[in-house]
Amino acid sequence: MAEGTGRGESLSIWFFVGGLTLLYGIILLPYGAYEWFSGHESSTVLSNLHPTFWWGLLLTLFGGFYSIRFRPGKG
Amino acid sequence: MTALAILLTTQLTHLAPIDILILVLYFVVVLFIGFYVKGSTKTSEDFFLAGREMTAWIAGLSFVSANLGSLELMGWAGAAYQYGMLATHWYWIGAIPAMLFLGIVMMPFYYISKTHSVPGYLQLRFGEGARGVSAVSFAFMTILMSGVNMYSMALVMKVVLGWNISFSIWVGAVTVAIYVMLGGLRSAIINEVLQFVLIWAGAALIPILGLWEAGGWTKLKAQIALNVGSSDYTHLWTTLGSFKDNPMGVHWTGIVFGLGFVISFGYWTTDFLVVQRVLSANNLRAAKMAPVIGAAFKMAVPFIVIVPGLLALAVLRDPHTHQIIHLVGENQVDAAHPYSYNEVLPLMLIRYCGPGLLGLGITALVAGFMSGMAGNVSAFSTVWTYDLYGAFFNKKASDAHYVSMGRWSTVVGMIASIGTAYLVMHAASIMDYVQALFSFFIAPLFGTVILGMLWKRATKAGGFWGLLAGTVSSIAMWLYTTYGGQQALARIALSVDAKPMAENLYRAFWSWLICVVVTVSVSLLTRPVPEAQLAGLVYGATTIPDDGARSLWQKPIFWAAIVITIFFFLNIIFF
Repeated sequence: MAEGTGRGESLSIWFFVGGLTLLYGIILLPYGAYEWFSGHESSTVLSNLHPTFWWGLLLTLFGGFYSIRFRPGKG
Repeated sequence: MTALAILLTTQLTHLAPIDILILVLYFVVVLFIGFYVKGSTKTSEDFFLAGREMTAWIAGLSFVSANLGSLELMGWAGAAYQYGMLATHWYWIGAIPAMLFLGIVMMPFYYISKTHSVPGYLQLRFGEGARGVSAVSFAFMTILMSGVNMYSMALVMKVVLGWNISFSIWVGAVTVAIYVMLGGLRSAIINEVLQFVLIWAGAALIPILGLWEAGGWTKLKAQIALNVGSSDYTHLWTTLGSFKDNPMGVHWTGIVFGLGFVISFGYWTTDFLVVQRVLSANNLRAAKMAPVIGAAFKMAVPFIVIVPGLLALAVLRDPHTHQIIHLVGENQVDAAHPYSYNEVLPLMLIRYCGPGLLGLGITALVAGFMSGMAGNVSAFSTVWTYDLYGAFFNKKASDAHYVSMGRWSTVVGMIASIGTAYLVMHAASIMDYVQALFSFFIAPLFGTVILGMLWKRATKAGGFWGLLAGTVSSIAMWLYTTYGGQQALARIALSVDAKPMAENLYRAFWSWLICVVVTVSVSLLTRPVPEAQLAGLVYGATTIPDDGARSLWQKPIFWAAIVITIFFFLNIIFF
């Protein structure tokens, strides 16, 4: 049984968690890189720290780990 | 309505395509989960209790997340701006001891009695009368609370993005109604775990970047003291010696007895909205561990809610004039002060988050509101189906009929919540509104449940009349202080310097005391319940089964001891 979904279902709740955060990371990471390296940073406070890039990287790593760890069919 | 009219003209920002993509993805996944688990939601046990197959971690995170709605996000961020660190009491003394007490002491009784709901437990212990009173008051409260969440979400969307308030209310309501109707509690729990992670992913950047900008915690405290002209805002306990010494107008007795004992224990141990999540656990040890895990995460939530409110006192400046922005109460908003306390979190979000991160932050807020809505509406459908419809209108229907009733009551509950969302617009403050509701319904319920669980001599008549007397007296005290002026306030809240929040705490304590006195008095005047009928329901008449924990790290009591130690440590650090 997949943890947290239902009897006989293959997707774990943790796979949903990993999958969505990975998707967000994949969206934010390249966008943050584009902002950083093209000089198109937004006018928010502390945008010089490139939070979009670093947060995108963190979400990619977190989401990637959970997606692989709890991928369907892993047991 | 004046505030609303002004806010309509003060849209803060626009979503970029990347923000819209992030928000849309969230809605797609949430709805997908509803359709995905529908296939495994066939029986009433599946629909109302998620098949009782959740692990301790999932039940624990869902337990915290169901509570992490508008009250926690916008309400307490605003309260932190208004009252300073005193707002943290609602997370620590106002939650942690009660959550641990639920896990270690009360959960075995709820779990082994195999009850479907808290009113269901009251029916087993005190009979149909107590169940009826608690079910009606709980159903009423969940609908009102769900409305608070809808209104909060709509307010964020309107203020931040300029979206029409009705459009925002309906988008959130329809989405939640679909996934709860399809998958019941199972769907709600899965989404709540996802929402908990997303809330952190979207909101944690505000305190991180805010503390960076402020120069760390010590400099933040100094800046707040400079801007506000007082160091009272960054202490938990030192200002609670008298009503006049702190911005909340409260005394430590109100915090310890009103909040820490009555409201907190009442909410976390008898509010079926949260207890339902723990009842979904797959065994007794998981049911005991879930609130302990929840308590550990609950202690961390002030970082993403209270810290942004404090940061706003120090760093929130008008981008054009560079003057500190002064937020005001919802009913004091005007051209000179266009933003209310409730908007502090969106304002901080916009301050630090550009395209992409803004979408993530907005998604976090939406996730919080939707978890609050889903928690209320799934609990409502369970209590309505089991404790009102199944108990008083149609006792012998088939299991499939009750599942169908659960689905329809989800939709009806959501429509009723939409109605209450429009009512909330007229409340001066979300927090005052919610605290008043808690003191009406939760405080006396805690008196009834705790006596029923720990005192064998409590009788059915005692439970019923105690609960009724506590609820009615709480509403009566609220009317008295609302219309009775300073004299009434001094009588109920023990000081003319008490402010509305303090009055809520003392009112809760008095209504609990009235409930207990009436329950004890009536019980002693009526025939005791034979002990054989109390097995599995009352301490002293029940053999608690072994929870299966063998090693130290498997024992819920061990982890509860660690959590309570950290709790004391945090209170000392921020004393």
